[in-house]
Amino acid sequence: MQLIVENLAKLYDKKRGLAATSFEVETGELIAIVGHNGAGKSTLLKMLGNWIIPDDGTVTIDGFGLANRKAIIGKVGFIPEVPNLFDFFSVEYNLKLFALLSHTPFSRVEVILREFSLLPFRKSKVQSLSKGLKQRVNIGRALLADPAILLLDEPTSGLDFEMTREIYRLLQAMHSAGKTIIFTSHRPEEIKNLATRIMVLHESRLVFDGLPHAYFQSEIHERLYAL
Amino acid sequence: MIGNIIILTINDLAIAFKNKTFLLILFIPLFVFVTLNLVDDAGSGPDKIRIGLIQQETLAPDIVQSIRAAEQLVELTWLANVDEGNRLLKERQIDGILTRNDAATGSLELLVLKRDSVQTLAILQTFSALQKVAEGARPDWITNVSSLHESDVQRETLPTWVLMLVLLIGFVILPAQVAEEKEKKLLLALLQTPINEVQWLAAKVLLGMLLILTAVVFLHVLGQFGPVHLVDYVAILLAGSFCFSAFGVFLGFLCRTQASARTLGVIFYLPHLLPSAMSDVSQQLTAVAPLLPSYQLYKPLQSILLENASLTDMAFDWVYLILLGLLMFWFSYLLMKRRWLM
Repeated sequence: MQLIVENLAKLYDKKRGLAATSFEVETGELIAIVGHNGAGKSTLLKMLGNWIIPDDGTVTIDGFGLANRKAIIGKVGFIPEVPNLFDFFSVEYNLKLFALLSHTPFSRVEVILREFSLLPFRKSKVQSLSKGLKQRVNIGRALLADPAILLLDEPTSGLDFEMTREIYRLLQAMHSAGKTIIFTSHRPEEIKNLATRIMVLHESRLVFDGLPHAYFQSEIHERLYAL
Repeated sequence: MIGNIIILTINDLAIAFKNKTFLLILFIPLFVFVTLNLVDDAGSGPDKIRIGLIQQETLAPDIVQSIRAAEQLVELTWLANVDEGNRLLKERQIDGILTRNDAATGSLELLVLKRDSVQTLAILQTFSALQKVAEGARPDWITNVSSLHESDVQRETLPTWVLMLVLLIGFVILPAQVAEEKEKKLLLALLQTPINEVQWLAAKVLLGMLLILTAVVFLHVLGQFGPVHLVDYVAILLAGSFCFSAFGVFLGFLCRTQASARTLGVIFYLPHLLPSAMSDVSQQLTAVAPLLPSYQLYKPLQSILLENASLTDMAFDWVYLILLGLLMFWFSYLLMKRRWLM
């Protein structure tokens, strides 16, 4: 799997958003996109997930553009900051609904429930779950179709320390299983030992793209996150 | 493709049940009550009454002369026969037909669309005044009033109720549901599956049609009345529910949140409902109503339910509703493709 981003841009009122950005992603990378609020992290991720249409540039996955839905579908799973589940219904209903729509056997739902420690909550209504649990269900749902690339927008936003650790443990496990993972965070210290690559966005521009240890020793980190 | 649409529609129906959308339909009597209190104020009747006379029928000369002399008050149309008069009456081109009342020599019988309408009252008042001028205090010229709509108030208001249901679901319930799926990013989650834009839109329109049909059937069961031409009635109802469901989905796409969708829905709901539903009681509204898409549904509903008309007389309305629905469906598709306000 190879993801290629070329001159991707989306600007709102000529300031916010993302200026023309290019990079490539190889199979099995665990990339953290870091930056302050409004830096363009979510905009970039949503364009990769085909959630917003770019003003300019292209995204290709294994040579197919995002507009080619038939070729792309099932290859990318997007998990937004706020869990997007049908609140009125149970965890099991939500997973089975998406399994049906993705033409995935229900046995995969059982696997997800087990792997994400959701078996005790299978009959619980989503609206009664904590945000951490909802996020687990959300990630599990995105994995139903077994996508090669997972995009997570601020997956630990609003979670307490324990839940944040739990989500990072899940990301580590999915990465070990061979998934390519790209996620955003505005707290770089938290993902120091998690990411294999860090991309830093500042004021709509990509200002750093490299290894974590190089980033944390860089002047950019000092400038952006100095206390 | 059909399988995905069915799954989505069933899911949407389950949501509609869970979020108590069905309960909303019970609020319709309140809307009826408010609407009935909005009929024209006293004294705001029509400026000129439009009367039809049968050419072959011999009426008392002084009556005809008085009608002709009162051209400021009465617009006279000569009719070839009663059938032509009935047709013009149904098309609202005349307000009433005067014929000889054989039961009372020298007097007239008035045929109107509705016995208790503003037009009927205006005709009776005008003729009473004409008679006083011509003859003084002799027996009334008009001694009997009959109407094409021979039914009780419940049935008379049935087309209004049906229109209300269609517009309420189309303009208020559906836009909110569409906006909710956008607001909560559920739509985008669904688009990560093999479901495409057309399937999702089709499921939403189907949901609207099912809700409308359920509510209308419930209404008929409660009122225990059915149309004479059932197939025609179902056909116009399907076209109307398709049109306004697609319209509602489009309105939902224009909004980012449920709250704004509801607001926009009500802005469209009332102007579509009131002029059409009240077109029979106000000449000004009768002039305005045909400009609204809702009238293209209301008019056939009224003709089928109250005048036992058939769809062949309303082919234009049926085609209009289908074409408008398709146009709205296409607009929604374009907005969805552009991920509008998502």
